[in-house]
Amino acid sequence: MDASNGAPTRDGADTGLTRLVHTVRAVALGERTAYADGTLTVSGPEAAAVLADPALAEVRVSWASPGDPARIVKVLDAVEPRTKGPGGGGIFPGFVGPALPQGRGVTHVLRGAAVVVAGFVPRAQEAVVDMSGPAAPLSPMGATHNLVVEFTPAPGAAWEAVYEALRKGALALAARLAEAALDAEPDAVEELPGLPGPGERGLPRVAAITNLQTQGTFKEVFVYGRSFGSTALPTLIDPNDLDDGAVVSGQLGHPSLKNPTWVFQNHPVVAALRARHGVDLLCAGVVLSPEPVDAANKELVSAHAARLCKAAGFDAVIVTKEGGGNADADMALKMDALEELGIPTVALYAEMAGADGTGPSIVVPPTKATAMVSTGNYDERLSLPAMERALGGDRVDVAGAAALDAFELPTAVVYASLSPLGWGHLTCREAS
Amino acid sequence: MTRVVHYINQFFAGLGGEDTATVPPASKEGAVGPGRKLAQLLGDDYEIVATVWCGDDHAAGPEVMDDLLALVRAAEPDVVVTGPAFTSGRYGLACARVAAAVAAEGIAVVACMHPDNPGIDEAGTAPVVASGEVARQMGPSLETLAAAVRKVAAGESLTADDGRVGKIPRRNVTVDQTSAERAVALVLARLGGDREATEVPLPRFDQVTPAQPVADVTTALIALVTEGALVPDANPDSLESARATRWLRYSLDGRDVLPAGEFRSVHGGFSTVWANEDPHRIVPLDVARQLEGEGAIGTLHGEYLVTAGNGTSVGNARRFGVEWAADLRRQGVQAALLTAT
Repeated sequence: MDASNGAPTRDGADTGLTRLVHTVRAVALGERTAYADGTLTVSGPEAAAVLADPALAEVRVSWASPGDPARIVKVLDAVEPRTKGPGGGGIFPGFVGPALPQGRGVTHVLRGAAVVVAGFVPRAQEAVVDMSGPAAPLSPMGATHNLVVEFTPAPGAAWEAVYEALRKGALALAARLAEAALDAEPDAVEELPGLPGPGERGLPRVAAITNLQTQGTFKEVFVYGRSFGSTALPTLIDPNDLDDGAVVSGQLGHPSLKNPTWVFQNHPVVAALRARHGVDLLCAGVVLSPEPVDAANKELVSAHAARLCKAAGFDAVIVTKEGGGNADADMALKMDALEELGIPTVALYAEMAGADGTGPSIVVPPTKATAMVSTGNYDERLSLPAMERALGGDRVDVAGAAALDAFELPTAVVYASLSPLGWGHLTCREAS
Repeated sequence: MTRVVHYINQFFAGLGGEDTATVPPASKEGAVGPGRKLAQLLGDDYEIVATVWCGDDHAAGPEVMDDLLALVRAAEPDVVVTGPAFTSGRYGLACARVAAAVAAEGIAVVACMHPDNPGIDEAGTAPVVASGEVARQMGPSLETLAAAVRKVAAGESLTADDGRVGKIPRRNVTVDQTSAERAVALVLARLGGDREATEVPLPRFDQVTPAQPVADVTTALIALVTEGALVPDANPDSLESARATRWLRYSLDGRDVLPAGEFRSVHGGFSTVWANEDPHRIVPLDVARQLEGEGAIGTLHGEYLVTAGNGTSVGNARRFGVEWAADLRRQGVQAALLTAT
């Protein structure tokens, strides 16, 4: 252990994960699912077969690509195609692979593509993705080639069963698409660090606390395939596990404040920490925490998360949320609990400042901590242009308009536009 | 020549004080009262083409806003000025609301009042510059105002350097770094000892003093109110399930129960299965009627008030609270039971 020159030693560090990145530059529908020279071809019948389930009468797939005059409405989830080998090789543990920790070895990534499920589910708040125009750069899915999965529920099927079939099917399809690239030469090889060992000294250990929405069916998040319970205690995981799909979204509220599976797979705070790993910090881990629905449990998980961070030896923490105003309380309580233990804390807040931006920005501010990043104002309105093609439905009910029409919407409706995990480039500034 | 329209109250229009606080909206060509001094300060490139006024008692009400706006529009202003209102509450409220309405029409405007004026938060996106506390400070207040008028007329924004006070609108902008990258930069700054850096200023919330307990609940008129979005089954008034911008009222007259199938919750923030199975889980009319029958409470108010509390901006939530309180007080309600989800 030699910290005299300030550089970290690698004493005791875990082995990491290697990402083999295949960049998707063009897409097509064809007879056979295949990947070659940057082109991903998908067989519609093969995709439908992967998604087949007694709860679904019919499944249709089509592509929507960046720049298309297309609008995807009623977006439910987005998944990045990834696999660790034939049959998934352990990807999406608890769904496609067995429920065991992953994040080691090699993972193939089809970067630039996504499986996007879109259609009516009664408990979903409508989410919109535009593939061109002013809203396109606000959503992660505005920049990916999206294989859009539309569906017709089987007669009499319970909505819970429909949604479960879509979730499992989308993950299986994402694994299947990535399998097409198993033999392809990757465009990039990315080595991700493992967890820092006890001997690594000299740089601050910075971790992420990622709050997961835990409000039951249609408003839940899965960890290793299990619904993370609203009274579960916070748990520490290896960030590389996220790359292999250990966290999967089952959450249909608050479109702009949603964390799609695609964003968990590419956890932006983890990515930003990795980018500085070994330079001016160590990417030290991810604490997953529920967002309980009652104040007493919010207090408990916040106090417990802070103790966990202290015990793990974290020097600083970045806290994120999922959902609307009540989730602000989870962040404020955690920030304050961490600061009380002497751990500097930053949280990512979306502002809810009203359409004119003059209202109070956050619902529950911290009382001891002060450092907050703004991911933009939820209520500011956007004008969306008319489109030529609509997927996922033919209406945007929240705008009272046909999906192809031009209309106005609050930023709140654009899918993951105020990404609580920090994907986006929006912030708020005072109009001078 | 820049055309200026000036809004003042009945007192500064020279019509009298509290005794004339009910005069209706009116206007007159040219500058009146403090407008004369303002016109001098603005110089020859500006002309106060009209002065609009209204009595303090109803100037702040929505029912006269259309009349006031019509008077303002008729004078074809390039810039509208309201105040200075100093710390006068009703006058400040009127100055702020006129300014907000004018700004919403895309006309350049500036309001002037003391930062502690209770009306200041009603100015919406319209800029407000600081006046002194009392009318004795008219001179310096008008100098601040005149400078602000020149900037606003030139299409420039006002800043704290211009004496700007009150809310400054926050706008979405796109920056190079992702929110996550900025969070890492901020955490490193924090580790470096910077305790000030933040992108979000801490909001200042009102402290509400609870009302006195009801003296005798057995004679009180009690209302049921909820943010649980319980509405008649067809949602006839289209209450929003999230980001509500309004509230509604439904009659309880002649009703002892809220049957499943006739009422349902359209709330977007929780699973409504249990609420819809028994709507009393959201609005406990059954138990309230029982208590009324037993004489444990006086009388149940004849309607319930409802909105959806899900992703609601704090500004709208505060407005609903003020409107509910005013509405219930007007109808003699002494206490309300608010069920929250």
